[in-house]
Amino acid sequence: MKKLVIYFSLFAFCLTGCKKIIEIDTENADPQLVIEGRINDSLIDQQIKISKTIGYTETNVFPKVSGASVTVTDSKGNTFVFKEGSTSGTYINKMKGVPGVTYNLNVTAEGQTYTASSKMPNVVKMDSIGVINNFFFGRERKTAAVFFKDPANETNFYHFNLYVNDVLSERFYVNNDRLTNGNDLRIQLFFNPPTNDHDSDELNANDKIKIEMECIDSNIFDYWYALSQQSNRGPNQGTTPANPTSNISNQALGYFSANTYQVLSATVK
Amino acid sequence: MLIRHYLALFSLLFLSTSIFAQKKFTLSGTIRDAGTGETLIGATVRISGASTAATLTNNYGYFALTQAEGTYTVAVSYTGYASVVKTINLTKDTKLNEELKSANDLDEVTVSANNRKNDNVKSAQMGLERIDMKSLNSIPVLLGEKDILKTIQLLPGVKSGGEGNTGFYVRGGAADQNLIILDEAVVYNSSHLLGFFSTFNADAIKDVSLYKGGMPAQYGGRLSSVLDVKMDDGNNKEFKFQGGIGLIASRLKAEGPIVKDRGSFMVSFRRTYIDLFLRASPDSSVNGSTLNFYDINAKANYKINDKNTIYISGYFGKDNIGVKDLFENNWGNVTTTIRLNHIFNDRLFSNTSLIYNNYNYTVRLLNDATNFKATSLVRDFNFKEDFQYFSNKHTLRFGVNATQHRISPIDIDSDEASQVNSLTQERRYGIESAAYVSDEWAVNEHLNFLYGVRLAAFSLMGPGNFSTYDADGNILSTENVAKGKFHKNYFNLEPRFSVSYLFNEENSIKASYNRNTQNVHILTNATSSSPTDQYVLSSNNIKPEIADQVALGYFKNLDENNYELSGEIYYKWLQNQIDYKNAAELLANSNVESELLYGVGRAYGMELFFKKKFGKLNGWVGYTLSRTERKFTELNNGKYFPARQDRTHDISVVGIYNMTKRWTFSSSFIYSTGNAVTYPAGKYSVGGQMAYYYTERNAGRMPYSMRLDVSATLEGKVRKKYQSSWNFGIYNLLARKNPYAIEFITDPDNPGKTAAQQTSLFGLIPSITWNFKF
Repeated sequence: MKKLVIYFSLFAFCLTGCKKIIEIDTENADPQLVIEGRINDSLIDQQIKISKTIGYTETNVFPKVSGASVTVTDSKGNTFVFKEGSTSGTYINKMKGVPGVTYNLNVTAEGQTYTASSKMPNVVKMDSIGVINNFFFGRERKTAAVFFKDPANETNFYHFNLYVNDVLSERFYVNNDRLTNGNDLRIQLFFNPPTNDHDSDELNANDKIKIEMECIDSNIFDYWYALSQQSNRGPNQGTTPANPTSNISNQALGYFSANTYQVLSATVK
Repeated sequence: MLIRHYLALFSLLFLSTSIFAQKKFTLSGTIRDAGTGETLIGATVRISGASTAATLTNNYGYFALTQAEGTYTVAVSYTGYASVVKTINLTKDTKLNEELKSANDLDEVTVSANNRKNDNVKSAQMGLERIDMKSLNSIPVLLGEKDILKTIQLLPGVKSGGEGNTGFYVRGGAADQNLIILDEAVVYNSSHLLGFFSTFNADAIKDVSLYKGGMPAQYGGRLSSVLDVKMDDGNNKEFKFQGGIGLIASRLKAEGPIVKDRGSFMVSFRRTYIDLFLRASPDSSVNGSTLNFYDINAKANYKINDKNTIYISGYFGKDNIGVKDLFENNWGNVTTTIRLNHIFNDRLFSNTSLIYNNYNYTVRLLNDATNFKATSLVRDFNFKEDFQYFSNKHTLRFGVNATQHRISPIDIDSDEASQVNSLTQERRYGIESAAYVSDEWAVNEHLNFLYGVRLAAFSLMGPGNFSTYDADGNILSTENVAKGKFHKNYFNLEPRFSVSYLFNEENSIKASYNRNTQNVHILTNATSSSPTDQYVLSSNNIKPEIADQVALGYFKNLDENNYELSGEIYYKWLQNQIDYKNAAELLANSNVESELLYGVGRAYGMELFFKKKFGKLNGWVGYTLSRTERKFTELNNGKYFPARQDRTHDISVVGIYNMTKRWTFSSSFIYSTGNAVTYPAGKYSVGGQMAYYYTERNAGRMPYSMRLDVSATLEGKVRKKYQSSWNFGIYNLLARKNPYAIEFITDPDNPGKTAAQQTSLFGLIPSITWNFKF
């Protein structure tokens, strides 16, 4: 909402071109290990990806880390060994996570050991998805939305991914029920295409939308929430950017999340 | 315990006054403007004869000087006014009420050198800047809306909160560490329209003083500065109207006598009308939008008799922003001050104040699914009793102060259909009380002291549930405190000390040390002041913020005080500073104190100031070299990092050229190093998106800012009663794109790479304002 106001002031005051590309003075950091692990509640090849950071000025190709040993144990005593599949740096095991079970990750890569744990929350049923018409300063704008009922008896955390015509929206969508516990929720997901063209953020008739909904634990909420506070907003506005707190030990970047998974698709009318 | 401290202070005080009391006679009185009857603050009264002495009038124009029996020459002077010189036979306690003629009504020549004062050199007070309301009118500003908060940003040691923003930082302090008071009432949110304008309508303002350091003991409650704003009392001789029509706002002020020479009133009103343009739009959702603010200043005073004068003043302001069927946001301050000046005897002057102030905001979301109304309020009741005792070489000031705070952090009100739940966050109650004593002591012609102490007590009161959190933010314990019971008490002793040594009438050095503490804190993640800033009181978790500052300065006046030259260096230590954890949720969070981090800070710098005060061309050059850093165990590996407002170099140049009687040209130029910001050092992929990897906190710099503003004022022909003027301004004449924000995007020229894109707010903006007076 505040952002909207700022846009409005920009609109009102900025008489000349207001944006330009500048050079910034920053030093490229040494590569850091990034672990991205998800276990969901479907029987699929669950994936743990290990990669590295690159310097700010480098081209966006992220080096994969091969040859790691990756195991997941659960609170019921099962052990799952993840093997590097056909894609290097991606370690897979066909299994199905169960809500209420805690999963522990153990990764040994390049001589270092990293651990993390995450408890899979209960499933909150995703009822439907749809498109909402908003009016911003006289302009109609269609927005994708997801509908579900938040359970009143527990604290819930949600993470969403939005795809428009199979293109992932570049925004971190995350919610908790701190102010909305127990209610029928309609969460709007504003599309942010991975291009610089801000006119292409509109949904048009016949666009295919797909929304993934994950019920996540509180650490993972904090992780996505920290990223959402920073994404697309550089420094000098709001929160001072910092690396989100990871639930993985030994200063690895990334996260290990045991979460539920649901997906629905629709076509914009 | 507290009472005992007060008693100890007072016994000390009276002990000292009795030592100084001697059989002499006192010359006392009130100095006023001859045209309007407004009291003159800080006018010099100098008496010479058997001995010489000088004093300044206080905030109510009152002065008292005590000397041995004899014949004296008394000179009363005030910048911009013709001096009055009189011979007085001091054989008994004598009254001297003088009215000075404004230089406006006089020829340039008659304003001779003898009323060019050298208080800046002489007084022990350091770090004080007074804004001349006359030059304020000619300094160019954004959209021609003259503004004291933007003008003080042109002074050394004061940094702007951002382009076009009225937020400010003083000597490394945070934006919430400025004590901003309007007729003694705290103004919690001093900005309109997201910070682009301040709550102070310059028409209604009489005097502005900014203390960057060496705060006298009567001020307390904030760490880094005191901005003391006083409203006009109103003309007690005749009815006057003045006003102006500008691009975005119009102003109207009326003043006049209630009873001639005994009492007067002043009412001033300002409103913006940006939304009138929106209303002209044919589009229904645009013309249903609101974007405006208004404020009203009102004041009245009445001299009951020679010993008692009563003042009542108030401020009421409101901002309204709204988009039809989407949201509404409004916020504003209310202040009310009732004061009684009482003269016990010629030497003892007292002022009793009862003050009420509040700040509140409302946010309404009108969307059908997320329909709710959120409100928040900070409300203070404040009682102040202040005494000034004028002795031969001493001016003693002592008093007590008690403020009750009530904070309603947020109440959310929603209906059944809304997906947001209703919520009432517990109110917080606190009492801040203080007792202080200070003495301004002119030891001899060379040495002046201003020293004192303030005892500040803070109590967090029930009712409420107060939780204590561990470092991870888990609740360790929760205490239920009944109404009126104390939950947590803090006592802080704040020594204040300044000394000046005059080599001669035009050269001095000064040194000061002062401690300030703060018990009301703003929690905000925003860079600029936001209407939804949240206020919290000191608690079990939040300790009082403490600042210790030492400063040293050299002051020199040249050419019979026509030129002022000064250099000050300072070092400041800050304790119990507040920052936020990663992913902190500050709003509507009853456990918000679990999201905080506590650390220390340091700030140091040098300020150079050169000012030409008189003549056709006047103005100033200010330069600040400074550093301000913070240290938190949990951030930046526990190492010091630059605060966001750390800007190494700050230069401001202000020039005012009175070409003819009718034409005045002015310009201001600023240059400042960019803010300290955190730039990414690396990047990686997570969740299918790009994330940035950060190393050192705030190790990067925004590009520098530079801006030249100009304005011209054309005074209309002077008619008998009626006067008008035109003001033409250009903001950012060089049309430079100054940095406001930076975001990271895919490099348009090289899609595999990342580029930094800078957003600027203002290009070249012309303005025109028409002012009138009759």
